[in-house]
Amino acid sequence: MPLSSLIVGISDCKVTRDANLVLVTYALGSCIAVAMHDPVTKVSGLLHYMLPESAMDAKKAALNPFMFADTGIPGLMDALKAAGGDGKRMIVRLAGGAQVLDSQGMFQIGKRNYLAARRILWKAGILIASEAVGGEVSRTTRLEVGTGRLWVREGGGMERELVRKPAAGKRTEQP
Amino acid sequence: MAYSVLIVDDSPVMRSFIRRVLKLSGFEVGECMEAGNGEEALEQLRAHRVDVILTDINMPKMNGEEFLRRLCADGVLKTIPAVVISTDATNERIVRMIELGAQGYMSKPFTPETLREELERVLGDRHASRT
Amino acid sequence: MPPELEQEYTLDGDRAASDTVREVAAEVLEAMFFTEAALTNCEHSWLRSARCARIRFEGSHCGEMLLGVSAEAADLIAASFLGLEPMELTDGERGQMIQELSNILCGAMLSRLWPESKLALGSPELTPWEEWPGAGNLHRCFVIPEGSLGISVRLTAQSGVKE
Repeated sequence: MPLSSLIVGISDCKVTRDANLVLVTYALGSCIAVAMHDPVTKVSGLLHYMLPESAMDAKKAALNPFMFADTGIPGLMDALKAAGGDGKRMIVRLAGGAQVLDSQGMFQIGKRNYLAARRILWKAGILIASEAVGGEVSRTTRLEVGTGRLWVREGGGMERELVRKPAAGKRTEQP
Repeated sequence: MAYSVLIVDDSPVMRSFIRRVLKLSGFEVGECMEAGNGEEALEQLRAHRVDVILTDINMPKMNGEEFLRRLCADGVLKTIPAVVISTDATNERIVRMIELGAQGYMSKPFTPETLREELERVLGDRHASRT
Repeated sequence: MPPELEQEYTLDGDRAASDTVREVAAEVLEAMFFTEAALTNCEHSWLRSARCARIRFEGSHCGEMLLGVSAEAADLIAASFLGLEPMELTDGERGQMIQELSNILCGAMLSRLWPESKLALGSPELTPWEEWPGAGNLHRCFVIPEGSLGISVRLTAQSGVKE
C-alpha cells in the first residue's frame, strides 16, 4: 500500500501512529524541524517551529505554541505521550537552522533556533540521534511513521536518509 | 549485563554532566562511581569492579597522567579501558596519554552526543570482548 | 623559549590570539552551554557584581586568565549545562560552574594558540573581577542572550617548563 503524506506546516506539529503515513515538512530555512519516533509503538511526531523563545511574543505563543521552541517542543512531547509514545525510547532528530536573512536582515536566528532545541532537549533528558542543520540551504524533511526513517533534501539536491551520526564536537581517536 | 563506570574529575559539575550523558545514552550502567583525583580513583578501583574509566588530566593530589601511569603498571587495572576527557588538547599531551594506554581522548568542549558516541565506541569494544 | 617570547610579545597585539579567544568562547558556549556569544564593545559596570574566576597556567608559556560572567547569566548557563532550572542550583554548583567554564575556556584557548607546547593549568579560583592595567593584556567582552561575559588573558614572567 503506498504511503500517504501528512503535511506539517510552518509553526505546526503533527503526531500519529498510522504506519501508512509519512510526516512531511517543507521550507526549513532558519526554522527547525524536530522529528521524534518511538520504534516500539511507532508513535511519531514532527514539529516545525520558527523562533526560539515564546517570551519574544507571548500573545502569538498563546495562540500557537508551535511557533516557538520552548513551547513547541514540550507540546510535541506531550502529544506523543498522549498518543502512547514512550519518551525514553524516542529517537530524536533535527533538521533546519540555516543561516538565512530574516525580516530584520539578521542571520543569527537559525543558530539560535538550533541551540534552543539542543538546550530544551538536554533539559528534558533527550540526546539527539542525528541532525542536518546549519549551512545556508533550505531543507525539506519527511519521517516515515512505519519505519522511523527520516529523509532530508537540501536545496535542490538529492534526498538522503539521516542516519545516526555524531553531532559537532572534537574527538581524537587512538592512532 | 550492566557496566560499571568510574568518572575521575576534580570538577563536581563536570562529573554531573558526564553522569547525565551516561544516564541518557541508553547504556545499561549499573554503578557510576566518582573520584576527584587519581588517588581517590585508585581507592575506588581497589574496592569495585570497573568496566570503563573516564578521566580528566589536571587534578590535585594525583593528576590524570600519573593515574594512567599507575594503571599501566598494574597487570589487572591496565586492562580497563580509559578515556581521557580534558581541556588540554596539546599534541604532546595527547600522544603521552595514548602511550600510557588511553583508548580515547576527548578534548573539552564537546557536545553530549559526541561523548555518547565515544562511549559507544569504547563500550562496544568492551562488549565485543565479552561475547 | 617559544619564538614569540624571545622578543617583546604581547597577547593584545596578536591577531591570532584575539581571533582564538572569540572562536573558543563561541565554541565552548555552543557545545556545552547551548548558547551563543558575540563580541561587543566593553562596558564594565556589570563586572562589579559578576561571578569571576581566575586560572593560572605555566610551562612553555606562563600567565593567567580571568573570566567574568554577569550574575543572572551565570545562573542561566549553569542551569543549561546541568539540565536544571536556575532555582534548582545550589550555591556550590554556581561557583563550580564558573570555575569549570574558566577551565574549559583557558585550556581550549591555550591548546589552540600553542598546540605544540607543554602547558599545565592550575585550579581555577573564584575571585572578584580585576581590571588589569597597561599593555600586554588581551581583553574581550561578549554578549550572550543571558547577559554578559568578559575574558582577560595575559602572559607573566616565565618560570620554566614544568615536568
